[in-house]
Amino acid sequence: MSWTSSLPPSFLQMQFMLLFSRQGKLRLQKWYVPLSDKERKKISRDLVQTILARKPKMCSFLEWRDLKIVYKRYASLYFCCAVEDQDNELITLEIIHRYVELLDKYFGSVCELDIIFNFEKAYFILDEFLLGGEAQETSKKNVLKAIEQADLLQEEAEAPRSVLEEIGLT
Amino acid sequence: MADSRRSALLSWTNKPAAKMSDVVEKTLTALPSLLSLDSQPGSAKLSSSSKLGNLIRGITELTSKHEEEKLIQRELVSIKEQVSSPNTTMRQMKELMVRAIYCESLGYEASFSYIHAIKLAQQGTALEKRVGYLAVSLFLNENHELLLLLVNTVLKDLQSTNLIEVCMALTVVSQMFPKDMIPAILPLVEEKLNHPKEIIRRKAVLALYKFYLIAPNQVQHIHNKFRKALCDKDPGVMTASLHIYLQLIQENPDGYKDLTASFVTILKQVVGGKLPIDFNYHSVPAPWLQIQLLRILSLLGKNDQNASDIMYEILDESLQRAEMNHNITYAILYECVKCVYTIHPKSDLLEKAAKCIGNFVLSQKINLKYLGLKALTYVVQQDPKLALQHQMTIIECLDHSDLIIKRETVELLFRITNAQNVMVIVDKMLEFLRVSPDDYTTIDLTGKVAELAEKYPSQ
Repeated sequence: MSWTSSLPPSFLQMQFMLLFSRQGKLRLQKWYVPLSDKERKKISRDLVQTILARKPKMCSFLEWRDLKIVYKRYASLYFCCAVEDQDNELITLEIIHRYVELLDKYFGSVCELDIIFNFEKAYFILDEFLLGGEAQETSKKNVLKAIEQADLLQEEAEAPRSVLEEIGLT
Repeated sequence: MADSRRSALLSWTNKPAAKMSDVVEKTLTALPSLLSLDSQPGSAKLSSSSKLGNLIRGITELTSKHEEEKLIQRELVSIKEQVSSPNTTMRQMKELMVRAIYCESLGYEASFSYIHAIKLAQQGTALEKRVGYLAVSLFLNENHELLLLLVNTVLKDLQSTNLIEVCMALTVVSQMFPKDMIPAILPLVEEKLNHPKEIIRRKAVLALYKFYLIAPNQVQHIHNKFRKALCDKDPGVMTASLHIYLQLIQENPDGYKDLTASFVTILKQVVGGKLPIDFNYHSVPAPWLQIQLLRILSLLGKNDQNASDIMYEILDESLQRAEMNHNITYAILYECVKCVYTIHPKSDLLEKAAKCIGNFVLSQKINLKYLGLKALTYVVQQDPKLALQHQMTIIECLDHSDLIIKRETVELLFRITNAQNVMVIVDKMLEFLRVSPDDYTTIDLTGKVAELAEKYPSQ
């Protein structure tokens, strides 16, 4: 099975990001390369087992097939990214941390339950921050502002006109 | 027993179980939001009456995989019925899609819902559309045949007066889009490059980057527009354009030498703290931007003394500014060091970079040690003395308990093989082969051993 997608290799190209609990339950999965359902399931299963078997003091990086895996545990959740072998792993570690900070700011002291029950929100934030697998340098404020503006639409679903005018988007 | 899923991610530390009072405290604080039924913008809404909430709670109460399967299959049958019904409103469809996403992420197949996700994106308004697009981006992939059906929706949304819809369309396009339909959408995305709102310009740049990656010849004619994005007054848009430039420069460094001074200037401004403070990450100004620029500069300065000359000053400054004790500073330093070693050599910079590598390799932090070894491997051809300087540490790393450190050390050794030490090194490699857990490493290492055997046949 070849990993390299039809895309040419690019720096900072993340292949996928998985979030899972200590029991191995997948909470979020974002794939930046085209893979069939079967392949995704196999990868998730294998990788989750591998990472759960790691001990606390070990390196945050490991080799897996022809990729580098960067992972970090936050409370009851493991955040795990796959990047190409030549990448700078510390940056990926910080990308994970930045994502957790964004979640924390949005949900207020975020915990796994927040992500379980509001996974769409977590995905929206992830998409604003990591567009197509590339980390955006947009300030934290901008990322969250974009999400909050869309959220406002939900609150005022019955009267969309006033909200859009209020935030100057029409 | 407290639910560990309620532990706040960021304040958690890898220490033994918290005191009872802490745990009670956390549970008590979580309770109000758990039970409240009113919505608060931006904060967690654990809706106790939602169907998704019930489903999730149902799943967590079960004890066996078999029971979970039964429950989900029932759920999927119910969802399937409802999505196929002509009476289902878009609002209901949105809720059904969220549950379908949940089922799929548990590993159960719900492909019947894919077409409805597209429909939801097409016919839903605002938040419904948003969930529709999200479902599409999670269910489908670039090569999926259903993706074609999304094209018209995206085209329509790109022309919407509601900017949030434009954003959604651009977001989905940057993630997946059928290659053959690019000509249809290209002019619409192009015109967004001039949009007054920075978020739209930024997303348009990223969409074009995606197009460039999958169909470079379609995007040839607009290279001058990228230049405009590079000079955009908004740092976010400028950063987005760097993705494209990094790719272009990788393919043809000579074509962009004239931009070297511009990139150096931008890096100077960033490092000098000229960006809005909001772009700081743990007191470091725009680290990802810095790293992109360092990579671009490496490519431009390689084998080119004139280009390298322009960069020395800022590289020196970057190497100096590294007193802070944070992972991201180390990440920037690593890129800096790589850059210094890639471009035309300058002795005092090389000295500083070598010292930096030394600090990494000698660090007690395992992640840094790993990066130090990696850096050593990268520079060893140009500076074999450096490896020699740290040989004690390298030998220690050979016996390190963490496989990846061992692996990186073996890699390093492979590069410093010469006629004298080849036997010892091959021995070490074979030893590692015995403990190596996966096929890829085995194949790679065996290849290397074979290479060495050919190179030094007498030994």
